[in-house]
Parts: sequence; C-alpha cells; structure tokens
Amino acid sequence: MAELGIVDIREIIGVIKNVYQYDFSQHALTSFKQRLERLMRIQAIGSADGLIKKLKEDQGYFDTFLHEMSVPSTEMFRDPSLWRWLREEYFPQNIDKSPGKYKIWLPACTSGGELYSLAIVLAELGLIDKVQIIATYMSEKSLELIRSGVYDLKKIEVSQENYKRFNGTRDLPVYYKPGKDNVIRDTSLIESVEFRKVNLNFDNMPQNVKLILFRNTLIYYNPTRQETVLQYMYRALSVSGHLVLGIREKISGLLSARDFEFMNEAESVYRKKI
Amino acid sequence: MNYKAVIIGGSAGSFQVVTRILNSLPKDFPLPIMLCLHRLKHVRSGFVEALSLKSSIPVEEPFDKDSMKPGKAYLAPANYHMYVELANRIALSTEDTVNHSRPSIDLSFITAANAYRDKLIGIILSGANKDGALGLKKVRDNGGVAIVQDPNECEVKTMTQSALQLTSVDYVYTTDQIINYLQKLR
Repeated sequence: MAELGIVDIREIIGVIKNVYQYDFSQHALTSFKQRLERLMRIQAIGSADGLIKKLKEDQGYFDTFLHEMSVPSTEMFRDPSLWRWLREEYFPQNIDKSPGKYKIWLPACTSGGELYSLAIVLAELGLIDKVQIIATYMSEKSLELIRSGVYDLKKIEVSQENYKRFNGTRDLPVYYKPGKDNVIRDTSLIESVEFRKVNLNFDNMPQNVKLILFRNTLIYYNPTRQETVLQYMYRALSVSGHLVLGIREKISGLLSARDFEFMNEAESVYRKKI
Repeated sequence: MNYKAVIIGGSAGSFQVVTRILNSLPKDFPLPIMLCLHRLKHVRSGFVEALSLKSSIPVEEPFDKDSMKPGKAYLAPANYHMYVELANRIALSTEDTVNHSRPSIDLSFITAANAYRDKLIGIILSGANKDGALGLKKVRDNGGVAIVQDPNECEVKTMTQSALQLTSVDYVYTTDQIINYLQKLR
C-alpha cells in the first residue's frame, strides 16, 4: 500500500471541497493522512488517483467516506472518573433544578460509545426522562449504525473494566446482547435521542444546550479550526452552559480561552463565561 | 547539530532504563525527547511524576498541539497515541490500538520519522511485544539513526529482537552506551 504524500492529500482535500463543499484543509494533517491511508487499505483503493476518481464519480460514496474518516470513540466509559463525577455531582445538582428538559448535545457522535455511556448513567440515576439528548454527525451511515446498537466486540472488555471503575449499579452486559462478531446494545436506552446530520460547520446545531460532550474530537483539528469549532460550541450553549473536552485537550493557548472557565479542571469540564 | 529529536520506545522492563537515561542527560540536552512507553490505560497520573524524580530535564505529558522544545521530554499520555504534527507540534489521537497498544510505539516512530526524516534518533528498549519494530524500520528507511538496546541486557527481549529481525540498525547498545551516545550529542 503506497503512502500518501502531502501533495496527494492536498489534492484529495481540494476535490472534496470542489465537489461537496466540505473543507478538510484545517484538519490535523498527520491524523487525516493516517485515516485516509486506513480507508484506502480497507477499501482496497490502490492510489490517491483511485480515491479521487471514486469521490468525483460516485456521489453516494461520500457518506461512506465521511463514516470511515471519523475516528470511533475508544470504548464506553472512557475516563471512569469523569462518569463518576457526572453521576455523583453534576447531574443530580443540575438536572433537577432545570425547568423543562435538560438539553445535552454530542456534536461528533461517531460510534456511540459516549452516547450509550451517557444514556446508561442517566438511566441508572432515573433521570433519562428529564433530558433531551441530541446526537449529531456528518455521516448518515455512522448515525444509522449507532441507532442499530451494533458495537465493536473488541471494545467490550475495556468497556466492562471501565464500567466497574465507574461503580455502575448493574453489570455492563445487561445493556447488550452478543451478536455474531459484535455486540448489539440495548437500543431502548437511546429511544428518545434525536439524531441529526450536520456538515463540517455544524449548520444544523441545537441551541440553548446545557451540556456539550465533545471529548477527543478537537485533537483532529489544527488550532485555527479548534478556534472556529469552540466558537460554534459557545454559541450553542445556554448561559453558563457546560462543555466537556478530552483530558489532554486544552484551550488555554487559544483566543476562545477567554470565553470559558474551568468547572472541573481534572476532568476537563468548562463553563461558558457570561 | 545534525538532529532534531530523539524518540524512545519501550514496554516491560524499560522503566529503569528510561530513568537511568533521563537521570544522566546534561541539563542543556539540545533536543526534545519523545517517550512512548506502554502503560496502563486507566492510570492517568503517577508515571510522569516517577520519571521526573531524578531526571535532569523536565518530563511532561503533553496536551494536544503542544510545541516540542529542546531539553524537554514528552511522555505519551495514557490511552492516547502521540504523533508528530507539522511545525514541531505534538498531536494526540484516539485511533484504534495497534499491536494492542495505545500509545503505539510504531505510530509515534512512524509519524516522527515522516516529520524529521534523517534528523531523528530512534531507540527501542526492553519490552514484551513487537510494537516498535515497524516504527524503527521507518526511522532507518528515512535515513535516521536506529538504536536498539542490547537484547542480552533487556529484562524482556521480545521488543528488541523483533526490531532486529525486521530492520538493520545503526547500533546495538547497552544502557551505558546509549547514555554515552546521547551525552555526546552537541
């Protein structure tokens, strides 16, 4: 499998921009290159020209492309200490006080690891009826897979360890059934979740959101796009709304740092400044 | 100075070696050092503190897009891959595990080799799986310096032997020789 050069990548990005008006030029190059090479490997596309031809000639392919380019969440209940904090402090203190439904947005819901973890926490707290969850992503195929409950069998072992560290009130296996070479998660957990397709600019994003779960997606952007996307998040949040980023993502070097303050530094939770 | 960075990969049995290396470097070591060491996914803290205890240069776990500076060591954070991005920046990733590992030594070495070409020094230490072999080959193929800890000295030989099977290297060194080599970089 040939490696992609910078020129190849620029050309692919250019074609996508021309044909589909999606601009990936502000994505972090190393990860983007790696993801492209993975896609070409699993779809047996031998060269950059082959991929470009496919993108130009088959418009139906683009959704699959977007699906494969997304990095799935690593496992359920990643960083169990965050989930413990959400269950023990954050949700009890915030949801009950909220008039109307508590709006939670997952902007880059790529494989549902975060979504199902969130739904399980809320179900175990008995608060799932008090929230409105909106899950968005660019690819219809990604959203469809999440709705179907299918999940990677490889990720179950770590997810179970995480769930134990989270001290869940049940056993994780009650939330899924074994499939052939995967597991099928209990889709009743996500019955009331609203799924929306968005583009790179989150055109269709919700408003007045109380909590945004956006962990480990900024890492795939360059600092310019990190800034832009943080401003989208800022606009989507309600007054004093909250934003959760990944543990090793930080905004202190960005202009947007002035718009947010720490709510829980150890778990990378921010509050929108007034 | 002919080089821009040093990258070190290790797993089981590498902690003592890395500690000795960090403790023996001059305070004004002229290059950034990337450390990609296998570690427990769920243990976020403690490792960098342990490595820092006697290290003569600062050791930190980088945040995404941090710039690397000479005379500092950057330890791949738990449950993230650590890449080299444009302009000497670190990029983190939550891509799938490689060789059951995240951080993956191969991915760190390959992205560093792509960024620094022949200006990179790659070192593989003691470890219990084959992660790092492909990465060290890439360092070597791109004209960088490939060093492997002498398997006879390794607590667990699998990682160094896998590297030696896959690629030719510049040096097979004991820990003392690795230290000596790094101390001479000026």
